[in-house]
Amino acid sequence: MTQPIDTSIYAAVTEAIRSEAKRILSEGQVSAIVGYAVARRKGSAQPIVISDAADVSKLIFTPACVNNLSVYLTKAKKEIPKNGKIGIVVKGCDLKALVGLMGESQLKREDLFLIGVPCAGVLGSVLQPDTELTSDTIASKCRECGERLPQGCDFVPSVTLPATPEQEQIYAAEIARLEALTPAERWAYWKEQFSKCIKCYACRQVCPFCFCEQCLCDRNKPQMVETTPRPAGNFAWHVIRAMHLAGRCAGCAECERVCPMDIPLNLLNRKMAKELKELYDYEAGFEVNDKGPLASYDDKDDQSFIK
Amino acid sequence: MSRIGVFICHCGENISRTVDVERVAREVGQLPGVAFSTDYKYMCSDPGQNLLKKAIQEQKLSHVVVAACSPRMHERTFRKAVEAAGLNPFLCEMANIREHCSWVHEDKEEATVKAVEIVGMMVERVKKNRVLPTITVPVTKRALVIGGGIAGIQAALDIADCGHEVILVEREPSIGGHMAQLSETFPTLDCSQCIMTPKMVDVANHPKIKLYTWSEIERVEGYIGNFQVTIKRKARSVDEDKCTGCGVCMEKCPVRKIPNKFDCNLGMRPAIYVPFPQAVPNTPVIDRENCIKFKTGKCGLCQKVCGPGAVDYEQEDILIVEAVGAIVVATGFDLYTIDEKPKGSLIKGYGEFGHGKIPDVVDGMTFERLASASGPTGGKILRPSDGKEPKQIVFIQCIGSRAREKGISYCSKVCCMYTAKHTMLYHHKVHDGQAYVFFMDARTPGKSYDEFWRRSIEEEEAVYIRGMVSRLYQKGDKIVVMGSDIAVGVQVEIEADMVVLATAIQPQKGADTLAQKLGISYDKYNFYSEAHAKLRPVECATAGIYLAGACQGPKDIPDTVSQASAAAAKVMTLFSKDKLEREPIVARVKEAGCVGCFYCKKVCPYGAVEEKEIRDRQGNLIKVVAYVNPGVCGGCGTCQATCPSKSVELDGYTDEQIVAMIESL
Amino acid sequence: MHPEKQKHAFEPKIIAFVCTWCTYAGADLAGTSRMQYPSNVRVLKFPCTGRIDPVFILKAFQQGADGVLVSGCHPGDCHYIAGNFHARRRFAAFRKLLEFVGVDLNRLQFSWVSAAEGGKWVEVVTDLTEKVRAMGLMTEFKELALEEQWSGTIDTPELKEAYDQI
Repeated sequence: MTQPIDTSIYAAVTEAIRSEAKRILSEGQVSAIVGYAVARRKGSAQPIVISDAADVSKLIFTPACVNNLSVYLTKAKKEIPKNGKIGIVVKGCDLKALVGLMGESQLKREDLFLIGVPCAGVLGSVLQPDTELTSDTIASKCRECGERLPQGCDFVPSVTLPATPEQEQIYAAEIARLEALTPAERWAYWKEQFSKCIKCYACRQVCPFCFCEQCLCDRNKPQMVETTPRPAGNFAWHVIRAMHLAGRCAGCAECERVCPMDIPLNLLNRKMAKELKELYDYEAGFEVNDKGPLASYDDKDDQSFIK
Repeated sequence: MSRIGVFICHCGENISRTVDVERVAREVGQLPGVAFSTDYKYMCSDPGQNLLKKAIQEQKLSHVVVAACSPRMHERTFRKAVEAAGLNPFLCEMANIREHCSWVHEDKEEATVKAVEIVGMMVERVKKNRVLPTITVPVTKRALVIGGGIAGIQAALDIADCGHEVILVEREPSIGGHMAQLSETFPTLDCSQCIMTPKMVDVANHPKIKLYTWSEIERVEGYIGNFQVTIKRKARSVDEDKCTGCGVCMEKCPVRKIPNKFDCNLGMRPAIYVPFPQAVPNTPVIDRENCIKFKTGKCGLCQKVCGPGAVDYEQEDILIVEAVGAIVVATGFDLYTIDEKPKGSLIKGYGEFGHGKIPDVVDGMTFERLASASGPTGGKILRPSDGKEPKQIVFIQCIGSRAREKGISYCSKVCCMYTAKHTMLYHHKVHDGQAYVFFMDARTPGKSYDEFWRRSIEEEEAVYIRGMVSRLYQKGDKIVVMGSDIAVGVQVEIEADMVVLATAIQPQKGADTLAQKLGISYDKYNFYSEAHAKLRPVECATAGIYLAGACQGPKDIPDTVSQASAAAAKVMTLFSKDKLEREPIVARVKEAGCVGCFYCKKVCPYGAVEEKEIRDRQGNLIKVVAYVNPGVCGGCGTCQATCPSKSVELDGYTDEQIVAMIESL
Repeated sequence: MHPEKQKHAFEPKIIAFVCTWCTYAGADLAGTSRMQYPSNVRVLKFPCTGRIDPVFILKAFQQGADGVLVSGCHPGDCHYIAGNFHARRRFAAFRKLLEFVGVDLNRLQFSWVSAAEGGKWVEVVTDLTEKVRAMGLMTEFKELALEEQWSGTIDTPELKEAYDQI
């Protein structure tokens, strides 16, 4: 049953972002702010970098503000001034990526001014950006969100988050469905999914954690992964990608959103997150400076799978 | 293009019995890059090695594969031979067709096919092998010893006697440690002071030992052979060079009633003091917290009476830097706190046994001071409460030790023996007294140890009761000890005059902080971890750092001294060469690809990964990358498997080599 | 004379990644003790299980392995202190991933085999070989590889149509 989701606070959030942005830019606290702005299609939003206090009115927050902007602080940093603190508008899910990046020495907290956004959810598809946010149109990741109010930010608009209706957890359900299949059935499922891959690497481009300058999968001495967009290479790429993100990915689901072939990429990431939670009680994106589950160990770790 | 030589060994008949070696030579001879292949009866023999050397020169071979036994057996042999023929030794690989093939398979066809594949795999691997130069690291032949107890003293003396300079750092005003506090020592009952103080004097007089007491380690940088250690010399307020140790200052000091930690707070000392008369150095230190001069600005009596003018109230803490090549950590132990649960600690304390509340419940070290001829009672065993001689005394063992519910699961190792010693000392001094011991079991492995323990029962009349004490309370001037004798199955109640608790041994306070400065690992109790429990018991995993004594785990004096000498021997081994040579199987960072996520640093078991700034010619920071110190790297390759972009590579086990092997199959 | 060995219709390819200090030495011990085991296994030596990259496992399957074995020192025995602890976590996670994408985990075995456990090496290798032999050829990755190649025949209507239009 379709249930509406209350996004009435977004207007107040937008106002608060603007006034805070104006303050920190004019006081010189930050040299630039990464945020969201209105895009050309009606109702849509796009990332924007502003460095002039006069531009703060361009900043918005709407259900179409789907992007994880943290990627603009690392590898997509071209448009951003090199000096001075940078302000960034972050949803709870995006903040987890930033926390991860800080733990991996890619960002420093003191270089950032975090404008946290209380968020009731964003749209699942931006193909119809001018859509009302409901329990049907909401992004899958938002259905499982536990961080609607980002913690530890420099500024968070003081609004009261409306209660969100109970929603079907699509990832959890899909993971459970796949887990119940036989290995051969799962293989068939993923073979079909990966066969769609055209190796455009949009998933890699958009991922905040794919910040390597030289991706392992582009290497040819030795060639660790076939680069051709054909079955074996596709399979290896997606498996290695999931492995490299294990324990790091906090589920912004940007990979899945940008995939032109609609491969359910976040499913792999969520599965790994689930396993690491079960194995080591670890969840990514909450603490800076911890080593992460795959760079640490305990003498008593489970080894029931080892003979 | 590679010109690979493949040499197939028959190993007498060990290989050729099940592997058709001629066929292997023929088939691998067809592989691209193989210029020469042959088989020979005994490749490792002199003629075999000469065959290899000759072929390298005549055939102008670029790489070599020897298919024979396990590389664990003869890799070194053949690499040496290859080196003698003018090739880099790391361009030679062994294919194991004996242990992994001919000896474990009976079918000749199967074994031959497998041998061809094994050799083929190594051929593909060796093509990707690179010239690896031996790594040399300069060695500073000076050692740092941290801790001036018996372990540190022994290690320092051994190293110094070998002619190397030693810097000995001790946190307290005097060296001597816990051994200086003991009365007699098991299993021979010789007096601790008598055997200890000559060694302390040796340290003081040794021309090669630089002694820093009242000093602490501030910072440690560098790596094996090349450490820079910053030492904080705490302000002593007395100039060590001027002080003659006459002791007039201590006599005149008007503050007299400060409990002396050395005497377990039973004796008193002045504000300017040496902890015990035989202290080394015999230079007092001013306890600034209790000194009237420091508290009120008045007094200054010690300065006035000091003939040589050694007292200096203006002295400040100073930092000095010493360059050393090796470090021996000998920080020793501390006793389990039985009063209460310390904050943030694993341990739970033994408040229920009345320690700290009932004055005549004391720990083992306090009993040592009571029994010591130089102690606060002059060697008479007297109750702290009223100075009476206890006629009934109860010793309780395993206080803290082997008590998981109290936070410690290990055995403290020395308590069974020192309790046996305590019963003897007691019996020698209080002839009409009776000693009781509550114990779980008596653990007495060690030369003459069990005999010693039996003597305490058979000759010195100690009554051993197997069982633990359930309750203990003050009743008048007696302490009622209630326990069970599980051997007989009855409840026991003893009205004792004094109770001695054999408290567990723990690492020194701050052991973890020091470990972090040194970059060495420690267990959950803060005992320092050796590199290998059996085969490398004195080395730390961090190269160039060695362990001696109870800082590594509970130990008695003989074990401590043995380990200290062993650590010294390890240091001397390191110092026996001007340069440290090591196998070049180390990780290297490819800076172009490194993005500085430092996962390598997070997983490195050796702390070999450092952060390195890359700057342009104008000095602007471009990026921060990882740097693997080849002197410290252990060569496990965990960093490479963890590195997302494979920007760190383990020489000798590169991805290229491994993938080439997989792809050959 | 040796008893006649049973011939099997299918012999699997087993690739073993082992550490040099424990399992490689354990396999050496099996050799010096003249223990017998199936000849299907090919051993790749690493300094430590900590060096074994999950990519290698994937690569081995792609290269036609029907079974993969990863083996190192028992916990606490690692020559490099903690390499095997890191490996344990890494492979605990990786095997879950492989399972999720449909790899039958019966084809992937992990074990601790010490330098003294020649017998255990034989047991682990024999068990894995027999298990995988019973499972048959690992077709999944081989099919992917085959699909990379165009057979050269125009066997789909789309291809035929496109060809006809040229």
